[in-house]
Amino acid sequence: MSIELPDTTDVAEQSPEELAELLDELVIGRDDHLNAPGFVIKPDTVVDALSRLRDQAGFDHLSCVTAQEYEDRYESIYHLTKFADRTQEVSVVVPADKENPVSQSANEVFRTADWHEREAYDLVGIEYEGHPDLRRILLPDTWQGHPLGLEYDQDQPQVVSLREHANPLLEDQKAPGGSETMFINIGPHHPATHGVLHVKAVLDGEQVVDLEPDIGYLHRCEEQMCQSSTYRYQIMPYPDRWDYISAGLLNEWAYARAAEDMADIDVPEYAQVIRTMGAELCRMAAHFLALGTFALDIYGDFTAIFMYSIRDREKVQNILEELTGQRLMFNYFRLGGVVWDLPEPREEFFEMTRDFLDELPTAVQEYHDMITSNEILQMRTIDTGVLPKEVAKSYGATGPVARGSGIDYDLRRDDPYGYYENLDWDVVVEDGCDNYSRLLVRMREVEQSARIVEQCIDLLEDWPEDERNIQANVPRTIKPDDDTEIYRAVEGAKGELGIYMRADGTEKPARFKIRSPCFSNLQTLPEMSNGEYVPDAIASLGSLDIVLGEVDR
Amino acid sequence: MPGLLQGEVLLPEGLANLLGLGGPLGEAIATLLAAFIVGNIMLAMTGVAGPWAKRKITAAFTDRYAVDRIGPFGLLTIVTDSVRLLSKELIIPTNADRPSYDIAPVILPASALLGFAVIPMGELGPLNIHLADPEAGLALVFAFASIASVSLVMGGYASNNKYSLMGGLRAVAQNIAYEIPLIVTAMSVVIFAGSLQMSTIVAEQSATLISLGGFSIPAWYAFVNPFAFVLFLAANMAEIGRNPFDIPEAPTEIVGGYQTEYSSVYFVLFYLGEFLHVFLGGAIMATVFLGGPAGPVLPGFVWFVIKIWAFFLFTQWARSALPRVRIDQLIEIGWKGMLVLSFANLVLTAIIVGVIA
Repeated sequence: MSIELPDTTDVAEQSPEELAELLDELVIGRDDHLNAPGFVIKPDTVVDALSRLRDQAGFDHLSCVTAQEYEDRYESIYHLTKFADRTQEVSVVVPADKENPVSQSANEVFRTADWHEREAYDLVGIEYEGHPDLRRILLPDTWQGHPLGLEYDQDQPQVVSLREHANPLLEDQKAPGGSETMFINIGPHHPATHGVLHVKAVLDGEQVVDLEPDIGYLHRCEEQMCQSSTYRYQIMPYPDRWDYISAGLLNEWAYARAAEDMADIDVPEYAQVIRTMGAELCRMAAHFLALGTFALDIYGDFTAIFMYSIRDREKVQNILEELTGQRLMFNYFRLGGVVWDLPEPREEFFEMTRDFLDELPTAVQEYHDMITSNEILQMRTIDTGVLPKEVAKSYGATGPVARGSGIDYDLRRDDPYGYYENLDWDVVVEDGCDNYSRLLVRMREVEQSARIVEQCIDLLEDWPEDERNIQANVPRTIKPDDDTEIYRAVEGAKGELGIYMRADGTEKPARFKIRSPCFSNLQTLPEMSNGEYVPDAIASLGSLDIVLGEVDR
Repeated sequence: MPGLLQGEVLLPEGLANLLGLGGPLGEAIATLLAAFIVGNIMLAMTGVAGPWAKRKITAAFTDRYAVDRIGPFGLLTIVTDSVRLLSKELIIPTNADRPSYDIAPVILPASALLGFAVIPMGELGPLNIHLADPEAGLALVFAFASIASVSLVMGGYASNNKYSLMGGLRAVAQNIAYEIPLIVTAMSVVIFAGSLQMSTIVAEQSATLISLGGFSIPAWYAFVNPFAFVLFLAANMAEIGRNPFDIPEAPTEIVGGYQTEYSSVYFVLFYLGEFLHVFLGGAIMATVFLGGPAGPVLPGFVWFVIKIWAFFLFTQWARSALPRVRIDQLIEIGWKGMLVLSFANLVLTAIIVGVIA
């Protein structure tokens, strides 16, 4: 009994040599990472190289762009993989000149590069040639220097000048000749932005002409903080603070997986089962909240559905609290396992979890009765916020957003980790590409997560007492070899949550990069909303289920 | 006066008789007193509804607790909330267009209160709670109810805020789309009653429709023409701007629409006005379709209050359970659906009444 793995036989797999042949004259060196072969190319051949890889080798998913500064050069890494087969990966390493860091933009090959390169420019300082709109993205425009650069003085406080707070609309902003459109700021303080998101919207009456999400209000230097913390213990609490809407364990797993692969740590099977169970509980809690807030956006009030979903989420939270001792910032995973075993008496914990699972079908049916079968809701959500499959791929959309657009992509199955491959469950895919599909995907995923949790409970119940090993033997300090690089991802609540780390021989990472699924998913908002009505744009935003803590990091 | 119930005395006259006030001055005093009483009954009801009943009802619908800390059943919340709301700072945007910014919040409750003048609310002891009974009563009450949209547009425009403006525009679009079906549907009732006078409409409904085993079902127009009742109910929800038609406010889209910039007392007035309009909507429903104050055992006025609270409960139910439709969908339902249906209903009613009578 195990999940059916995707049929990847028709997805051609290229050996590194074949890829090198494909890139041919573009390759000027090799810089292999632990997860993938890495090809070094010249900074002015990025478009050429990525196009070849996408069109001729099928690498259609630009998962992440990592930028970093070395003593002698700047470097951008394009982490490529395939939607059809996540296990195939390749890194395209683009060094840029130390004095004049200019590199070609990948924007015309993968649209997701837009924001990723803006972030690289903002935090590291590489300039991307041919980028349509190279501005700072996380920091305010007045910021001096690039905080993740080597030269940056971190002790020098910077005050965001009043210029940033000035009301740009203080002066009468009427366009000459009488414009037909209206500019409006949605957020950063708006009931439907799910945090501090600012959307610059141009409206024509009630219809959206153009939308531009403006992020960075919740930027907390998470990457910087991880770079100044030790692998062994200090980094683990941070992931809880990225996607803080109950998805803590899923985030922790992203770091745990990357660090364990880097330091070559094996996790005992028993701990893997506990991890899998905890992670799926988190996914359920996160999806319940997504469901509730989406209903809030459509219904417009704190209605029954919102309260019901909070009620069910509360039950999951209670279970997680029993398991981890925390309700929000779990900090439960450790490298090599989890921090402690299931709570004693175990029977009570199992009973509690089973009670919840037994009640779940009734609750889910209730949601279907109240939400998905409601005609007004269908009227509002079907065929609105349409995100076509190819567009979703180009923007690097993952998670329920991608699966709502008919992309059969789930890292739990496609790049197996934990105990998922030994369990029986399905990947949920809907072909509607609209708000309704994304809602359905989340609701059905809750049921799949319940299946996984149930199987984990069964396994844990019968686990022999003397084999309950919750942690592998891991050294007190971890010092991976100098210049070890790895990019690893897990399926977070919102999609592919990836971590890139580069070791420099010390016990702290030299570069720690977070690939946030919300960051990529949010980029699709203008694509979904342009031409729609304002209420549908709000609904689309809700259906993306972004958490600003993860978008801004 | 034709149509008046036998021996019915309106409230001002009743008060004058009761207090022994005579002459033109006495009449004027009695009239003012009567208006004061009716106005305060309605304001008291909104006072109960806004800070307390609404929360309790919503909480019951959504499985949670609501105000229960202060006083029995949390009833004293009404007092503390009033103090809280009235003691807040009144913030007026720099570029607000005054005095329309200040007048708008007054118009909304005032228009609703005016509407209650012609509603027959039934007997209470020796008094008949009914202020005035003009022959065009029904037309008048719709006229008063529609003034509300003037207030919303004024507030929305004068706030000098784009969200407010959008709310104001939505309010107008919605009002135009629903006022016509609303009134046309009400006209089908007028065909039955043969009069626009409220007392006549109520009196006509006191007849017995059918008797079933000792129980007689009265000829309330909701029973006589259920189709018109449902149409009217839907149009009324849009008219008073409640879910699923709370489009002019739509907090998750346009942050509260026309009331975005209003605070403190002005906000209270808007809120008060909205609740008054909900109750006025309920009062119109009760009068036109539910036999007005008619009901067994209890005094007429009590039945009347029960009926408008039932409507209030219905709006809260809808609020807890129904998603909001989009503005273009709303307009479409209004112009393409309800308008056609209401005219069909009117023509059919006219034919049936014409053939039978």
